[in-house]
Amino acid sequence: MEAASIPAGPPASQRIKQLIGTYGLTAVLLIMPVWFAITDLSDDGNLVRLGENLVAGLSNGAIWALVAIGYTLVYGIVELINFAHGEIFMIGSFISASLIGTLGLTVDSSFLPVFFGLVVALVVAMVGAGTLNVLIERVAYRPLRSAPKLAPLITAVGMSFILQNVGLLWKGGNQQGVPDLLDAQHTLVTIFGVTIENADVLSVAVTIPLLIVMTTFINRSRLGKAMRATAQDPEAARLMGINVDTTISMTFLIGGMLAGAAGLIYAVYQTTIWFFQGFTGGLIAFTAAVMGGIGNLRGAVLGGLIIGFIQQMSDNRIGSQWTPAIVFAYLVLIMVFKPSGLLGEQTRDAG
Amino acid sequence: MSVAASEVEQTPPDPTGKKSGFQLPGWAEKGVIPGVVLLIAALIPFIPAIGDKANLMQQMAVALAYVVMALGLNIIVGFAGLLDLGYVAFFAFGAFAVGWFASGHFAYVNDEKGIHFLVGGNALNLPGIHFNFLLVLVIAIVLTTIAGMIIGLPTLRLRGDYIAIVTLAFGEIIGRLAVNLDGTTILGGTPITAGRQGISPVDRIDLPFLDPFTVLDKKPWYWFALFLVVVVLFVNFRLRDSRMGRAWVALREDEIAAVAMGVPAVKTKLMAYASGAAFGGISGAFLASLLNTVNADQFQFSFSILVLAMVILGGLGSIWGVVIGAIVLSIINNYLIPDVINGVPGDLGLDFDMTQITFAVYGFLLLLMMILRPQGLLPERRHKMELADHAETTDDNLYTARA
Amino acid sequence: MRSKYMAATGCLVAALAMGVAACGDEDEPTTGGGGGTEEPAAEGKNLTIYSSLPLQGASRVQTEALVNGAKLALEQAGGKAGNHTIKYESLDDSTAQAGSWTPEAESANALKAAQDEATAVYLGAFNSGASKVSIPILSEAGVPQISPANTYVGLTTNDPGSEPGEPDKYYPTGDRTYTRIVPKDTIQAAALVTLMKQDGCTKVAMTNDKEVYGAGLARVIELSAKEQGLELTSNDAIDKNASNYRSLAQKAKAAGADCFVYSGITANNAVQQFKDFAAALGADAGLYGPDGVAETGFVSEKDGGIPAALNKQVKVTVATLSPDQYPPEGQEFFTQFTEKYGVDNPDPYAIYGYEAMKLAIDAIERSGTGEKADIKKALFETKDRASVLGTYSIDENGDTTLTDYGAYGVENGELKFDQTIKAQAQG
Repeated sequence: MEAASIPAGPPASQRIKQLIGTYGLTAVLLIMPVWFAITDLSDDGNLVRLGENLVAGLSNGAIWALVAIGYTLVYGIVELINFAHGEIFMIGSFISASLIGTLGLTVDSSFLPVFFGLVVALVVAMVGAGTLNVLIERVAYRPLRSAPKLAPLITAVGMSFILQNVGLLWKGGNQQGVPDLLDAQHTLVTIFGVTIENADVLSVAVTIPLLIVMTTFINRSRLGKAMRATAQDPEAARLMGINVDTTISMTFLIGGMLAGAAGLIYAVYQTTIWFFQGFTGGLIAFTAAVMGGIGNLRGAVLGGLIIGFIQQMSDNRIGSQWTPAIVFAYLVLIMVFKPSGLLGEQTRDAG
Repeated sequence: MSVAASEVEQTPPDPTGKKSGFQLPGWAEKGVIPGVVLLIAALIPFIPAIGDKANLMQQMAVALAYVVMALGLNIIVGFAGLLDLGYVAFFAFGAFAVGWFASGHFAYVNDEKGIHFLVGGNALNLPGIHFNFLLVLVIAIVLTTIAGMIIGLPTLRLRGDYIAIVTLAFGEIIGRLAVNLDGTTILGGTPITAGRQGISPVDRIDLPFLDPFTVLDKKPWYWFALFLVVVVLFVNFRLRDSRMGRAWVALREDEIAAVAMGVPAVKTKLMAYASGAAFGGISGAFLASLLNTVNADQFQFSFSILVLAMVILGGLGSIWGVVIGAIVLSIINNYLIPDVINGVPGDLGLDFDMTQITFAVYGFLLLLMMILRPQGLLPERRHKMELADHAETTDDNLYTARA
Repeated sequence: MRSKYMAATGCLVAALAMGVAACGDEDEPTTGGGGGTEEPAAEGKNLTIYSSLPLQGASRVQTEALVNGAKLALEQAGGKAGNHTIKYESLDDSTAQAGSWTPEAESANALKAAQDEATAVYLGAFNSGASKVSIPILSEAGVPQISPANTYVGLTTNDPGSEPGEPDKYYPTGDRTYTRIVPKDTIQAAALVTLMKQDGCTKVAMTNDKEVYGAGLARVIELSAKEQGLELTSNDAIDKNASNYRSLAQKAKAAGADCFVYSGITANNAVQQFKDFAAALGADAGLYGPDGVAETGFVSEKDGGIPAALNKQVKVTVATLSPDQYPPEGQEFFTQFTEKYGVDNPDPYAIYGYEAMKLAIDAIERSGTGEKADIKKALFETKDRASVLGTYSIDENGDTTLTDYGAYGVENGELKFDQTIKAQAQG
């Protein structure tokens, strides 16, 4: 887009490439919703089914977005694919579920205890997951700062195995049900025939404020500035008097807190948790982060939402055994048309 | 061993003569030491305590197959610097070469009489497609080379870790296809893959002039795996020291500079994917025949991570390091954890089920090894020099080795 | 409960920090099946029974129950079969790296058993795909095999649902060594369909977990439903890692389904599916599952299973009798298991593990000599054996002749025997 505004203009072949890049991407993104809109209109005469897919996609995608931000933040600052991040999200879910049990909240609890209980659970899960993430950085990544770039990748994998085992011992090998505190699948309102459930509202209502707070924090605060500076050039940042170690720790803290929040929402929204959820969730969130352009916060959110939409449409119409393949096929297509992700910036490495 | 000997003549001794750490002079690295090691490896099955244990021989053969695979991935990640998180795709193609062309899977072809080509013995009477194993190896190489190029194409414009996610995506898509294409039938009603049922049994290796390999005696399998390792090592050294090998390293170190100096980026990258993939295919085909099954459960993301861990743990780009990394991780996974660590509480008279913390033990070992030897067990000299240079000039608290 | 887990976790951390520390101190006293192996037998042999099961990952819940059941059976027998002393060794056919069974581990286990002179019986595998790997090895070595869990048709017969060349291609020497104590898929499928018809289902939405057990069972449920005239609206393979199945359930509702049946195991996200389908299909819809979900972790809300509100909608089929019809030693097993593992109601897989070990001991005893060939012969000659699964024989294919399935309802988070269903196997 930027290139197109340069007056002299690039050669014709370049311009065609540019056009393919821009419109090809749009076409790729729209192909599923448009196709399903057409089939819906011809089959049912309305767009209710697509609408429901999109609502479900939005609320599911919001959870992925929260996890994806953790990936993107960490990647932006230390250029590490933090494979253990998904497990932090899982631990967040486990902390919340245990807390819900400890506080004695059940399906029959009335509104006030549930509300305050969830607030407490949210805070504890965020603090717990954030602290854990900082500890992991200390133990598994910091000793490897001067090692080859890929070495921390393996310690991250090792860490993720250890955390999975902790989850396994904690809650056993089966999925665990969590009390359906909010009556998640209760229809709250119906708009144009599209039902909106309690769970959808919860997911969006917690995610959006968190996202706004976080982006504002990173864009405005002193620490946020330090983070961005370190991400751009750690050496220069250090020379400017920024404490790189603290900044990195803070980044892991924030990423972990968001994963913890996502963990709580996931537990209450899905009402089922599993020691393996972090592995899948992490893979999806990582995909979301890359799809949006790794290192870019808004990109991570956009990527999360797009994946949420794709997943729900595919589950509902194509068959859920193909869903992961379709998500990944989308990713490859997006990468072909936009090699640095949807809102990709130039990172040091990818620059 | 003649292989190694010819290497000595062709490669001049290391001109720098700089001995740093584990770096050996050229003649030792490529001649004497490997020769001795390989000779010992070839003679091990004659020790009755080892050779008579079929499960041990099989695990050693599996470990050697992993060596082949790790050497393949090392070309892509270590030499060319393209982080590949979907290497399992090549394993899958290699294995399916056996599943499709050397088993009774396509039972309906040729009026249920089967197609046979250069096979003898039992296989002649079975339905399905049965090609000689050497031919299957060629098919596996062709299949994986093509797959490697196809997977490489979309990553050409990408840099850094974007390559990682696209290869990961391909690995996952191939894994999904292996699971889900058990519903799509071809060639008279056989599904393309057998999904999680697995294509089983598959033909055993049947080499010209030798007796067919058997189920219970794993020694021939081990020697065949060793032979594959020798061939692959030879090819690996030749590739590394060739024009192409230098082009890979140049691209890895600085793509812009390399392209400016006339290194053809597209061709060089695709060659890295293709040759790395071919090794994966060879190993995949061998493993399928050895383990007598091609099961979609095998082709998961965690396998890509395992092979990558072998490469990084051994020392990125270092051929001997990668060999050691593959062997160490195989031993941990198939011997140390199940046979030694899981027995410890029992030996101590405790009733503690170690299998419930196997995940953590494995993760902890990975973590420990990486922290103790961040640059790998046997780092590549070039990487090592870089690290040393950086450490002198910059603050080692910072992210020095990132480039 | 939680404090125990915390202790375990703390212990794990300690173990990691200091190598393998003594973590078992506060656990229950030693229970292993190998208890009686030290003393040499008067004239009998020292024999080993191996089991090969995936002890890592999603199947762990069931395999742990299997191993516990098997250990208890051996303990009941005093570590003896006739005058032979039996040692039990539980092998793992999964690796931490894969988190599920791997062909290399399964075939290494089979080879280990094949070359061990003392091997008497091989219990396994858990996954049918794994049995395809171990059967040829064990058949060649003449080691008798009892699977406590395989239901895939083609391992023993060429009945509908099998593939060309099965089962002969697994026995290259023609020597049949493989037996199993759970009925093949066809029988359970027929039982489930009969049950659903009885309960007045007209249109049934089905999901399967895409694994050998689940997908195979789903395939024969389709056949059986056609035969018995029950309409299936769908047979969706699910992704076990999906976070929910609400869209899928909506699809079933749109197709007019009034019942739901899941063909798979608990660990493949069964609870979430039952919740989502119950929410979509309404409070009157019947929800059905096979023995893969017949366990505490699925039916009990406090153990993380389905919510109590769904209890009355759910029914599962299991190849076990009503507990009060168990033979005396089965009754004893019941009380002992409860005592030792603190579960009120042993999961079916504990019962399967128990019965597999029982049958192995029985066959060794009947063989007299303790030679593999004689044990195998005795195994295939099993006739009218009274067991916790009912009275059965082993036929010439190695299959059990059981056809009765128990239909279980759920009450207060526990499986409750409802009725016996006589299923007719086709083919």
